[in-house]
Amino acid sequence: MNKLILLFAFALVFVNAGAQNRFFTKDAKINFNSSTPLEDIIAESNQATTFIDIEKNEVAFSVLTTSFKFRRALMEEHFNENYMESAKFPKAKFTGKIVSPIDWKSEKAVVVDVNGELTMHGATKQVTLKAMITPGKTKVTATAELKVTPEDFKIAIPSAVRDKIAKEVTIKIDAVYAPYQQ
Amino acid sequence: MKNNLLTSAFILGMIVLYSIPAKSQDLDALLEKESKPLTTYATATFKSTRIVNGHSVERMKKKQLEFRVSHRFGELNTGSYNFWGIDQGTIHLALEYGLTDWLEIGIGRSTYEKTADAFAKVSILRQSAGEKNMPIQLSYLSSTEIIGLNTNPAMQQNFSSRMSFVNQILIARKFNESLSLQLTPTYIHRNLVPTELDRNDLFALGIGGRYKITKRMAFNVEYFYVYRDNAITLPVTYYNPLSVGIDIETGGHVFQIMLTNSTAMREGGFIGKTTGGWSNAGIHLGFNISRVFSFNK
Repeated sequence: MNKLILLFAFALVFVNAGAQNRFFTKDAKINFNSSTPLEDIIAESNQATTFIDIEKNEVAFSVLTTSFKFRRALMEEHFNENYMESAKFPKAKFTGKIVSPIDWKSEKAVVVDVNGELTMHGATKQVTLKAMITPGKTKVTATAELKVTPEDFKIAIPSAVRDKIAKEVTIKIDAVYAPYQQ
Repeated sequence: MKNNLLTSAFILGMIVLYSIPAKSQDLDALLEKESKPLTTYATATFKSTRIVNGHSVERMKKKQLEFRVSHRFGELNTGSYNFWGIDQGTIHLALEYGLTDWLEIGIGRSTYEKTADAFAKVSILRQSAGEKNMPIQLSYLSSTEIIGLNTNPAMQQNFSSRMSFVNQILIARKFNESLSLQLTPTYIHRNLVPTELDRNDLFALGIGGRYKITKRMAFNVEYFYVYRDNAITLPVTYYNPLSVGIDIETGGHVFQIMLTNSTAMREGGFIGKTTGGWSNAGIHLGFNISRVFSFNK
């Protein structure tokens, strides 16, 4: 009987410990810039959902493409209708692994390499990016930047507007994580 | 003792069951679970704020200004002397602005009867699916038109007799990425009508639709059934306006090219006074050009 109670207590501790390995937020910021001298194309979403698993060194992002806000309403419409085809492919996703060493107890900002798969517009591509992570007990912050080309994700750009849209799109990420409670 | 053991085993079983999903859930599954509940709103039901002549449910969003130039050539059946209508032209210019995402106001000027107009378009319902479900979009349009012609003595004596008022309820649904349809019940009050026999109050039902041919091109049809119980007694034969058109979108512009039996480009004119018929080639070639400017930030 005593052994059973011991097991019970152990199981409880075990469950709690599992929960603290993960940090998450529902309002991470993602912005992208594909401006050219001809046209300013900047958009931001602050509704990205993201997780960090500090035990497995894994990260995951998901964002609705319709949540990106543009300065021009017409640009936003074209982004969703003609380029991202948001009705068909509503989400953009990233899942990856932190491949550089990171000390999650240090609470000091560290630049790490992240390898993973970026999926959008129904196409998936292997990407490598640099991220700056500041670990903490109750708060983890991360910023990252990467460059992608629309062609890699089968996003067709008509020749008439090709000069107005940058060949390489810069994506910036800014997330503040809190411990994930199940 | 035996009972106690069973209870303990049961609790243990529960704990094991509880902790299994917590461990086996990967980040992918967690993302799915924590992603915000999806309500997707239908956007771009139509490419432009007009289907062809009549308003669509689309509006300018907040701080977006649209400049519209609409042009109709003359009637095709006017023959070679008139170069089948190309020698003539009727123009409508308009500035339309989004005060908020749900309210648009606009002013316009037409060479047809020297008409000035002002309107407001309010979005009441938005089509959405998912968490919030709404099968249709619903907007209300209120427009006032003032005829500027100096040829009618009654209009010169009394300013209010130049005015007419348009009320429309726009009900639209985007069925899929290609097909959108709209019903437009219309009520027009005209302070002064051409003859004693014409009714001051005019009721009409508009039916419009668009079908996307490619991502940037769409085919449009628009028809208004105008209720005239006394059509036979009227000295002028009026027709119901029927228009077919193509939208071509290029960045900040939308071009609309159409064939229509109406000369006018305002509701009071094309619903109330269309005198060309498709059956006798009383149709016009025409185009609308829309350019959008943003005043955000």
